[in-house]
Amino acid sequence: MEKKSMKGYLYLAPALIIILIFTIYPLIRAFMLSFMEDYNLVNGSYKGINLENYIDIFQDRHFIKALTNTGIYVVFVVPCSIALSLIIAVLLNSHIRFQGVFQTIFFLPYVTSTIAIGIVWGWIFNSDYGLLNQLLSWFGIKSIPWLTSKQYALPSLIIFSIWKSMAFDILIFLAGLQTISEDLYNAARVDSTPRWRVFWRITVPGIGPMISYAFVMGMINAFKVYNEVYALFRGKNGPAGSANTVVFYIYDKFYNQSKYGEASAAAVILFLIVLGLTIIQRTLTGKKE
Amino acid sequence: MSFRKTGAAILALVMAASLPVAAFAEEEKTIEPTEVTFWHGMSNTQEQVLTELTDRFNEENEYGITVKLVNQGNYGDLSTKLTASAVADELPDLAQAYNNWLTAYTDKIVPLDEFVENDFDDYEDLVEGYRAECEQLGFIGALPFNKSTYVYFYNKTMFDELGLEAPKTWEDMLAVGEKFMEEKEMPAFGVDDLAGFLEASLAQNECEYASDEGALFDNEAGLETLEYIMGLYNNGYARLIGEDDYFSSVISTQRIGGYIGSSTGVSYITADDFELGVAPLPTNKKAAANQAGTNIVMFAQDENQQAATWEYMKYLTSTEATTEWAMKTGYLPVRVSAFESDEYQSFMADDITATAAYSQVDAFFPAAMFEASNAVRTSVNTMFEEVVLDELEPEDALAEFVQIINEECDVE
Amino acid sequence: MNRKAGNVIANILKYGVLIIGALFTLMPFLWMILSAMKTNAEIRAIPPVFFPSKFSLENFTTAWKAAPFGRYLVNTLIVTVFNTIGVLITTILAAFAFARLNFPGKKVLLTLLLATMMIPSEMLLITNFITMTKLKWIDTYQAMIVPWLASVFYIYLLTQFFAQIPDALYLAAKVDKCRDFKYLIKIMIPINKGPITTITILNVISNWNSFVWPLLVTNSREMRVLSYGLVQFQTEEGSAYELIMAASCILVIPIMIMYLFLRKYIIEGVTQSGIKG
Repeated sequence: MEKKSMKGYLYLAPALIIILIFTIYPLIRAFMLSFMEDYNLVNGSYKGINLENYIDIFQDRHFIKALTNTGIYVVFVVPCSIALSLIIAVLLNSHIRFQGVFQTIFFLPYVTSTIAIGIVWGWIFNSDYGLLNQLLSWFGIKSIPWLTSKQYALPSLIIFSIWKSMAFDILIFLAGLQTISEDLYNAARVDSTPRWRVFWRITVPGIGPMISYAFVMGMINAFKVYNEVYALFRGKNGPAGSANTVVFYIYDKFYNQSKYGEASAAAVILFLIVLGLTIIQRTLTGKKE
Repeated sequence: MSFRKTGAAILALVMAASLPVAAFAEEEKTIEPTEVTFWHGMSNTQEQVLTELTDRFNEENEYGITVKLVNQGNYGDLSTKLTASAVADELPDLAQAYNNWLTAYTDKIVPLDEFVENDFDDYEDLVEGYRAECEQLGFIGALPFNKSTYVYFYNKTMFDELGLEAPKTWEDMLAVGEKFMEEKEMPAFGVDDLAGFLEASLAQNECEYASDEGALFDNEAGLETLEYIMGLYNNGYARLIGEDDYFSSVISTQRIGGYIGSSTGVSYITADDFELGVAPLPTNKKAAANQAGTNIVMFAQDENQQAATWEYMKYLTSTEATTEWAMKTGYLPVRVSAFESDEYQSFMADDITATAAYSQVDAFFPAAMFEASNAVRTSVNTMFEEVVLDELEPEDALAEFVQIINEECDVE
Repeated sequence: MNRKAGNVIANILKYGVLIIGALFTLMPFLWMILSAMKTNAEIRAIPPVFFPSKFSLENFTTAWKAAPFGRYLVNTLIVTVFNTIGVLITTILAAFAFARLNFPGKKVLLTLLLATMMIPSEMLLITNFITMTKLKWIDTYQAMIVPWLASVFYIYLLTQFFAQIPDALYLAAKVDKCRDFKYLIKIMIPINKGPITTITILNVISNWNSFVWPLLVTNSREMRVLSYGLVQFQTEEGSAYELIMAASCILVIPIMIMYLFLRKYIIEGVTQSGIKG
């Protein structure tokens, strides 16, 4: 790469200006809000500048619950979605019939209405006549109250979210796979290299940047999970709040309870966690490269 | 500072500031032609009727006032938009709102005390419960508009089959629940608004709910109420909404004996294969029924705009307009004289929902309003599901409710 | 092991996985279309019925009449087209800078930008709304277009693709005295047609479906967008799901057509690229 110059900023300027005004500035405001006790958004009054909001949310059992739920959710959803999407993308990219039809179908969740998706999954998870329980009954597993018990609400959300985030991952992986040179595969075929080796030696490194992208984006989006909860539990956060997440918590504090300081404090905490993880991820992959 | 105190202080300030208006009202009224913006969250039929009423006002008013209706989505959207606009100081002249949306910007509300005193035909004619709600901020902050109440919708065909009458008391509730469980293995009750149900049940047992001082039902009456509620749920007489979306769907598909919900919800019940019955809420020591629906709140800033807005508010709450509104939308009239009008009486003769609603009009009460009331509402709803799912004993359920409310109110 | 038999088993597995996956993916979409043709009673039936008793388009006409969808469609198109063009410009330029140019503070800046994605966007709404009122942009197209003209999400995505293009190509261009901008236009963009089309589709969809922000910054019916048509059928007490589904279909159909049309270009764009290792 060439030597450093300021020219990069010329190319960045249009994007940076928009981001500065409409993202960074509101972010800084939110950050400041998080230190203001009893902040009133309308008249700008507050009791004092301190850590009261942070203390409050960490003493709030709903927040702790939301935080642990979100953590568990991320750990399951991100790797599962990437692994499954990778398998499907590789299959779609191999020489199969109806390739176009399959590709179109796997893209559909992206355009289907969230309400429809929520209803259908409600039906899949239904304890009495749901598809999933019927499937499980073939293996002798008793019907599980997926959406109505505190115990299974989070697992249901995780299954649903893995399905939902796959559409995007598949799309990205496919775009990546198609940039891998056919020659590499041909060479492997001549050497009759086993398939799994081809997968690990050619495919995975070939779309390495896409996997790393999907991982970072998946993690960021998983930490921000809100729509999935809303769709699956019809606008609520699960039975007795058992599928509450940090962003659901923030949204409720902000819009329903007008507790702007606490909502901002929760957002800052979320921000710090994801930022920390992203930095770790970037240093790890950075060393590999 | 408590809510009421803030309200009173603001009222004093505003009264001082608006003295010229009072003097002015004595003279002959003149309003310059102007446009009044009204933000609402009504859709479908409701929006059509509102448009009809408003068109008529625009044509007939003598001052050349034009009211511009602006639909801002559903209540959630409207509330968000109002908050954002309050921050930007871009509020409309008039908007539909619940009191608890306004907690962050009560100082932007135009107190209506002066207007009511000088230029309103009969304030006492407004339903008492509604008036109480409009005065919750410590001054008259609104006029009632699209009001409703909670009633018990039930499957009359099933009730007849089991030889049952609609429950009138708590004892009846438990008896009906037991019979349904024995004969049909089906719950007889569901509740759309759990926190509202707790509040109403406490009121029916002459027990207070909550205030800035925290939970007020950590006592004998409170325990009796929880014994009743947990008796309904722990025995399977009542169920949570669970996998369904609204109880109106559950009753439509005949999977429940009945449910307690807003009287306007009747339009979402499809009673094709059974007869629908509607009853007032059960009573215990006394009658108490939640009222629901929004009020109209004035934010108009200059004097002329306020006067014009007030004309429209008077019009919407007039006996004629509120009667027509109620008959065409299924909401309730806001005036006693409207309920008693021949027109509405003959409408009610064929409308079982309106009849049931009207029969408890003296028992209407507004939801408690205090600084943490929104947070308490959210937490109580969650806790209600929790105590039901965990099948807690009444004592433990009571303790949980009290604790969570006190936490939200910052009371030890 | 017999190689042929192994292939058959592999094929069965391959198609099995794909078909099961496809069914799960297809179902909500089918459900949406079928539900749009059901009656209210069929929508609520327990256990659920998959097919309506008769395929009627009545819900579509009811939904269509409930709102001036024609006007909404025009507004949505205007917002989507202008925003997407803008997004492509900012994204391509920024991604090129990150992937190809060297400038001080690059790593820090990229991490910082990534970090901005971590705050839920709902937190930013009110501040941005105030900015709009200060600019006197309420109820205008620019209020719906300008705040979303740059997306870290797409910049990061395209950077990943740009970074994959071998350095050799760039150096060769340099030797030919090809300037950076010309290199970007003549080489980088054609090679990355596929990812750029993907970004276009993603951005069109997010514009198409965005709901909260357009609702917040518009007031008059003349300025509302298509997604607003959905709100008519949801209330506190109940929802007319059959009409919501019909309106959802109306919303989705144009996107589907666009996708089916563009899909060819994605594949073409990628396969035609001159990079073969």
